[in-house]
Amino acid sequence: MVGSGFGIIYRRLLIAVPTILVVSVLIFVVLRLLPADPLAMSMPPNATQQEMAEMRHEMGLDRTIPAQYAIWLGRIVRGDFGRSIQFRSSVSDLILTALPTTLELVVTGLALGIFLGLGCGLLMFSWRGTLKEQVADVGSIVVMSIPEFLWAILLILGFGVAFRLLPFIGRMDAQITVPRATGFLLVDTLLSGDIGAFGSALEHLALPALSLALAITPLIMRVLRSSLFDTYVDEYITLARLRGLSERHILLFHALKNAALPTVSLIGVQAGFMFGGTLLVEVIFTLPGIGNLMVQALHNQDLPLIQGIAFVYCVIVLVINTVVEVAYLGLNPRLART
Amino acid sequence: MLLDVADLNVTVGLPAGRVAVLRDISFTVEPGRILGLVGESGAGKSMIGRVVAGLLPPAFRATARRFSFHGQELLDLSPTRKRALLGDRIAFIPQEPLSALNPVRTVGSQFEEHLARLGVPRGQRRARTAQALGEVRLARPERLLDLYPFQLSGGMCQRVLIAMAFSSDPALVVADEPTTALDVTTQAHIVSLIRKLQEAHNTGVLFITHDLRLAAHLCDEILVLYAGDAVERGPAKAVFGEPRHPYTRALKQATPSLTGPRRRLEALPDVMPGIEALGAMPGCRFASRCPIADPQCARAFAPLAEVGENHWVRGTRLCTSGATGTVSREALPRVQPQAADGTVLRLDRVAKIYGGRRSLWRKRFPVTAVQGASFSIASGEAVGVVGESGCGKSTLARLIMGLEAPSSGSIELGGIDMTLPSPFWRRRIQLAQMIFQDPASALNPRRRVGNLVTQSLETKGRTAGHVERRQRALALLRDTGLPEGLLPRFPAQLSGGQRQRVNIARALCAEPRLLIADEIVSGLDVSVQAQILNLLQRLRREHGVALVFISHDLSVVRYLCERVLVMHDGKIVETGPTEEVFSAPTHPYTRALLAAVPPDDIARPWPSDRDRETIS
Amino acid sequence: MIGPGATLRRCLGEPRVQAGGALMIVLLLVAVFAPILAPHDPGDQDLLRTLAPPVWTFGGDWSYPLGTDSLGRDVLSRLIFGARVAMRVALFAALGAAALGSALALIAGYYGGWADWIIGRAVDVWMSFPPVILSLILMVGFGAGLNNVIVAIIIVDWTRFCRVVRSEVMTVTKRDYIPAARLAGFTHMQVILKEIVPAVTPLLLTLVSIEMGIAVVVEAILSFVGLSVEPDVAAWGVMIADARQSMYEAPWSLVAPVFAIFVSVLAANLLGDGLRRSVDPRLAQRLVVVR
Repeated sequence: MVGSGFGIIYRRLLIAVPTILVVSVLIFVVLRLLPADPLAMSMPPNATQQEMAEMRHEMGLDRTIPAQYAIWLGRIVRGDFGRSIQFRSSVSDLILTALPTTLELVVTGLALGIFLGLGCGLLMFSWRGTLKEQVADVGSIVVMSIPEFLWAILLILGFGVAFRLLPFIGRMDAQITVPRATGFLLVDTLLSGDIGAFGSALEHLALPALSLALAITPLIMRVLRSSLFDTYVDEYITLARLRGLSERHILLFHALKNAALPTVSLIGVQAGFMFGGTLLVEVIFTLPGIGNLMVQALHNQDLPLIQGIAFVYCVIVLVINTVVEVAYLGLNPRLART
Repeated sequence: MLLDVADLNVTVGLPAGRVAVLRDISFTVEPGRILGLVGESGAGKSMIGRVVAGLLPPAFRATARRFSFHGQELLDLSPTRKRALLGDRIAFIPQEPLSALNPVRTVGSQFEEHLARLGVPRGQRRARTAQALGEVRLARPERLLDLYPFQLSGGMCQRVLIAMAFSSDPALVVADEPTTALDVTTQAHIVSLIRKLQEAHNTGVLFITHDLRLAAHLCDEILVLYAGDAVERGPAKAVFGEPRHPYTRALKQATPSLTGPRRRLEALPDVMPGIEALGAMPGCRFASRCPIADPQCARAFAPLAEVGENHWVRGTRLCTSGATGTVSREALPRVQPQAADGTVLRLDRVAKIYGGRRSLWRKRFPVTAVQGASFSIASGEAVGVVGESGCGKSTLARLIMGLEAPSSGSIELGGIDMTLPSPFWRRRIQLAQMIFQDPASALNPRRRVGNLVTQSLETKGRTAGHVERRQRALALLRDTGLPEGLLPRFPAQLSGGQRQRVNIARALCAEPRLLIADEIVSGLDVSVQAQILNLLQRLRREHGVALVFISHDLSVVRYLCERVLVMHDGKIVETGPTEEVFSAPTHPYTRALLAAVPPDDIARPWPSDRDRETIS
Repeated sequence: MIGPGATLRRCLGEPRVQAGGALMIVLLLVAVFAPILAPHDPGDQDLLRTLAPPVWTFGGDWSYPLGTDSLGRDVLSRLIFGARVAMRVALFAALGAAALGSALALIAGYYGGWADWIIGRAVDVWMSFPPVILSLILMVGFGAGLNNVIVAIIIVDWTRFCRVVRSEVMTVTKRDYIPAARLAGFTHMQVILKEIVPAVTPLLLTLVSIEMGIAVVVEAILSFVGLSVEPDVAAWGVMIADARQSMYEAPWSLVAPVFAIFVSVLAANLLGDGLRRSVDPRLAQRLVVVR
């Protein structure tokens, strides 16, 4: 089993490489061939002719498109994403500084959402056939109809403005400073032993993570419940009952493992989408993550920054997809052995 | 007495009122004895199994004067106590072995889970599992423990399930059609295995099946069910040898025989009434189809009457008197093929090989589905193709029809070489048509019957007018014995037999010279099967159409076809006139196949005690 | 009860379809009749009456039922005209993505082979982009404008349809009535149009309903960031972005567009869920078997 596991990862990585290449081509092409002048996008408005000529040469705009792409790709491979126009610093530095915020947010939001989603899904399944289930079903549709940025606003209005329970700006109380070790505030505060700071970081993370979580909880809940239903119709469940196994045992040891497959698949897809969701959540909560960075880059038409962040997003999603697929193969032995 | 059932009634609440789906069923199972519950689908035999298990669907209720297991009333038992019995004292063997195990857990883990439930201590479980698997003659049982169900064949899976059932040394085993989904040779092994284990553990067995002949060989006693009524009960040899109830007789007469003279199949008209119709039938539910019924039969529910030693029949004096009505088993007239019209189909060394492409990181091994197939069919002739699953007969059918292209060799239809590319597709579908196995899948559920049977008139350049299509549809329905009223219906509103007739009607619409029937009677009840077979005979006579009839059921092939091809592992191993091949087979595989079929003569011992080891 | 007529009746009888459908129709009517319904022009600024409160609080009046925003524009009118934007995007983007996605799915699912492989790889690549990011990038490239938004959403979301419809097409293609149709003389195109499309249509309708909700959300995100419609056009996302600045003083001008988006997505989800339930035969079976 271990051997085939590595084989799968190896295969997936092999597929991932051309996928990244194609993705990079798309990013490049979309921003180059569209009716927007890349040169104008890359230069501040008061540039001189001389500066523009220099920039044109540096960007390789005096070469053919494929050549430009090759230059760009070559630079990326070396980690050089260019320089941001608005911030006048290296794109990769900007991204690396901002990335931990986003990752921390996504991981927390995902964990919370999965926990709530699985719990509610099981609960709803245990209520099957009752009125409570119908109510929960409609309730889940209602919750599902609120995207994460609307949750962000509602939570702010509720817990931040109306009841003033939780903060909603930034990652931490402005007065506290913590030495930056990993960039993950929750980790850094613990490392520096500052419990007060840890508490503050947690408080500030609560509403943003909850916004993300509430967006995926109903989806996970529904897919778990629906796949449990599908499983229960199968023959082996009936035979398990005929063998004298208790309903509880059947649920835990038979049904859940089968129901896990579509659930894991959905979680994987939603994890990828969640990265897109962090964009607005970061803007609304004023968190300095790559989403916020991206929005600024888009407003200012900061081409190198846009490209860089887009590329990073794609790589992250590819990694998530690979991990999910490996997990899926681990759960479903049939696929592994074809 | 192990299981003592007296006057079991199961009712279901329908919008129109409560309907009895099982009426006054009484039987007993003794330790070490096998009772067969025989009936067609919908007769209620599986329902009895569910009552024993206590797993009736929501709207169903069971009552009985007595329903006791080892003296304990089962119907009143609390769910916990009932659950304690299941899997331990009462074990079940299911119908579909491959779906009966959780596909994402290993066989070993599920078996050990079962042993855990039985209270076997952890350290002993693996050894006990290996031992149990060895008892059912599975080779290298330790290796099986780490396999997943989908890696096993149907027969192997069923052995595992049988091992599980007997591992608790149960008092009663309920086997619900355990061999229906298996090949004929596998069936013989499984039946012999069940009998062996049953004798060893002195278990009582409730064996549910639709196959009367099989039950006659295996069981000590038989209970015949029809539409929820027990119509006959008695010693197996007596019930099969001299059936007294008209239905049992009809069942026996509708089953084609493999040996002995070829007799006409007497097919009962219509079908067994469904649950909805039962409410309006206070008396005998078989009366509407019974050849000797009188008006009194349908009104009053007759009691069981003893007609022999421990042999009971439910019916009036007319039934029990043994009158046979107008049924006489005359010899079957042969359909003469018109040799003058020449050869309709000729295959020359046709082969089909799948796969074998090397992809970047996986080597795919080529699978040879068909190899070196050569034969020809004269106009109007019926040729049977028999073999077990995986032998290539379905692939052969698809090759002849043109749904697949042969890897090598040539196929000639009506004298035209079909292996040349597509312009001949139109000619091909005029010459040959295929009747698919599963009418539920072969009929578009969104089309009405009238639309379906005339589908070949719908294509470009031949869009017939509405009137013409309707006329043609009516003619086709008449031809296949379907009432006109079915024209506007949808497939879901038809019975299994009716759907298969619609399937056949559709194939006839193009007026082909060759019909390819791929296992078209396999899923049907015996009486419906007989109707379809007689229909095919009539169609052959009237239309002069040749027939390639694929089936795993040798007796059906013997009834219908003049010649037979026996396939094994993609090759045609034997061919010749049906009577010759089946009475004096030359190839060892054909012999094995014939030996695995339960013989018509119940005096002959079956299955033979030579039980091959399964090679995994 | 069987047949297409019966399915339609079952759909219309399902309460979620009724609720979702009714809401949808209301929204569409609001969108269509916006000029008549809205009390003011959405761009009309009254700089003397900025951040006016809604009619039910102190200081509000009926001339501005929901109050005004930071530029003195009537919130209600902007909300109503915002429905125009949202509904146009919802309808056209959903239908467009459905058309593109299903066409490719039909080809991939029916023909298989290398067509399936290419389309499958394209879908894989496309799905490596978080959809929000891709749509933002496209809008940067396309420039502002409602039609551009519609095109961008179609380009991003066709994959959602393609994946799901493809597996349904493959399931249907495995059924014997497909080769049976070929044997009846149907060409490949006739098989696709007459046998396969009707079989996947119920699923397609469900997906289109849900996609309408997704399209409204994407448009709102785009207009929040300022990359959707032209600056002078009223859209719900723009309203949210504006109102956020004055969240403490005028919370209602923030709540109104949030509520509008919520209602639209709810309508889409209810409709989609209701359609799915009335069309999926297994659901009926489930309710009986489980206990």
